[in-house]
Amino acid sequence: MVSKTNLKIALAHLTSRKKQVIVAILSVTFGVSMYIFMNGFMGGVNKSQTEMSFSALAHIRVYNDVDTEIPNLIQDSETKLVHVRNAKAIQYTEGIKNAEEIVKKLKTNKQLSAITSQINISGTFQSGSTKLSGIISGIDVENEDKMFQMKQYVKYGNWDNLNYSNNNIILGTGLAKKLSLKLNDNITVITTDNIIKNYKIVCLVETGSPNVDDSKGFIKKSSAIQLLSKNRSYATDIQINIPDYNKATEVASTIRAGIPYKVESWQESSSQLVAANSLRKLIAIAVSLTIIIVAGFGIYNIMNMTVNEKIKEIAILKALGFDGNDVVQIFLTQAIIIGFIGGFTGVALGFGIASIVSMIPFEVGNMDTLPMVFNKLDYLIAFVAGILITIIAGYLPSKKASKVDPVEIIRG
Amino acid sequence: MKDLALSVKNISKYFHEPKTFQVLKNISFDVKKGEFLSLIGKSGSGKSTLLYVLSTMDTDFTGDLYLNGVNLVGKSQNELAAFRNENIGFVFQFHYLLPEFSAIDNIMLPALKLGKKSKEEIRAKALDNLSLLGIKDHAEKLVSKLSGGEQQRVAIARALINEPAIIMCDEPTGNLDSKNTDIVFDIFRKLCHENGQTIIAVTHDDDFAANSDRIIELQDGVLLKNEY
Repeated sequence: MVSKTNLKIALAHLTSRKKQVIVAILSVTFGVSMYIFMNGFMGGVNKSQTEMSFSALAHIRVYNDVDTEIPNLIQDSETKLVHVRNAKAIQYTEGIKNAEEIVKKLKTNKQLSAITSQINISGTFQSGSTKLSGIISGIDVENEDKMFQMKQYVKYGNWDNLNYSNNNIILGTGLAKKLSLKLNDNITVITTDNIIKNYKIVCLVETGSPNVDDSKGFIKKSSAIQLLSKNRSYATDIQINIPDYNKATEVASTIRAGIPYKVESWQESSSQLVAANSLRKLIAIAVSLTIIIVAGFGIYNIMNMTVNEKIKEIAILKALGFDGNDVVQIFLTQAIIIGFIGGFTGVALGFGIASIVSMIPFEVGNMDTLPMVFNKLDYLIAFVAGILITIIAGYLPSKKASKVDPVEIIRG
Repeated sequence: MKDLALSVKNISKYFHEPKTFQVLKNISFDVKKGEFLSLIGKSGSGKSTLLYVLSTMDTDFTGDLYLNGVNLVGKSQNELAAFRNENIGFVFQFHYLLPEFSAIDNIMLPALKLGKKSKEEIRAKALDNLSLLGIKDHAEKLVSKLSGGEQQRVAIARALINEPAIIMCDEPTGNLDSKNTDIVFDIFRKLCHENGQTIIAVTHDDDFAANSDRIIELQDGVLLKNEY
């Protein structure tokens, strides 16, 4: 522990050159607050990116993957593409036959916050002579909204109108624009099996994600079952949301056991999103740590100047019987005090900047203001890193001070 | 040996910069407790160098050095610092006080470092020393606000705070007018003869030296004169 006497000398040194000390504190403050701001902002960007993707992507998806384990009946297929299939088997290998049963089972699991089943069919949207391929999604109107908050993306019309008729459809705004369609117009949908049906547009949505806006149409699930002539319990996908999407992989592995289909978390299905997020985070940490380290150089410089300025006093103290450890204590205490004050003000300033930036309007996609996250761990890391760097930067000059030869200084 | 404050045996010291040069040549002498000794000599005679060897701050020498019967050769820097703290008081030509502190804080510093007494006791002792030196009124003033003579007396009060066996002075009156020189000299006499403390002072001042108990004169690193 620092002795009271050494602390007193350290404080006297600090208060005798306020300007330099304030500059040193400000450099720590700046470094720490920038760390907090940059990481908060990058975290916010990551979060909004991820959430934007979640307008079409569930945290966990259950679907019937093509089973690669079944051996081909014809082995010499290197030169020819051979597909052997049984017409009866299609019914069982495509989609999930007993989706409702699985949904019911999943609903007993408390880890999951929302579950909905979908029937996704690829097909063509036609209006007049314009044809566009896309996805027709048969949905459970209420659960789909619960899961993806679809109502907040509604641009025209009313989401619930879909429920009123099997002939109603909801389109993405981009798709509607390409087909020159507006609310209450009619649209023709052609499935890959060449089944043609007319729908009435009751609602237009804009999620910000081109996957939805430019190529998706929503119809009632029962209507989709009709299109495909499937049983009532049929679905192609079961979508699951959980309270904390970062835990999707863990939760997916826990529910995998009871389900005979592929259970895939969003991290597994969209690794490019995960990669982009971690890279952004990495850049933020690298840049902000650099700023803190630069602040460390500033403190090193100032502490070095102090040691040079006070070299006579160090010599006197040593003559009076203060040893090398006392001298290290005296200067290190100064660095630690600078580090703590800078750390605290940095955390406060960082929070302030982050709060202000998070209020700046930025109306792009699903955002209203600039994205920002307030992660306690970032604040802790910034504070600890700030203090650690200050201590290192203060230790080197104080080591130098402890080696001062009093005779050389006092004799001049 | 028992009543010796200081004993020097065959001390030699070399400077290596700019070229090797023997500054102290086989110096040996003893100092009794309660003695007031002046160390004189021309510039470059090695008297200040000898004082810093005696002070334990300069350890780059050959020979033996006993202070209060303890051989100080071969001790670590930190051990020597602790020894200085308890047994040696310093008065320099320039006061060398800490400018950020008041007179009383400067005086208390070595005792706080020693840590053998409570803060209140140390404070009382520091005030005693100040009144002994006749500057009690300046106790709470910043030392940078005091005159040269007052600063030197504060430095003496600081040297005395741990009641050291030996007080070492490098030109203690070099910067003082004759009136202040007399004051300092009287204080030193009193310390030797009433408190039994030993004083070793390097000085240029012949009157000062003549009035001390004993004079040691150095010339070119050799003990020239050692007389009472």
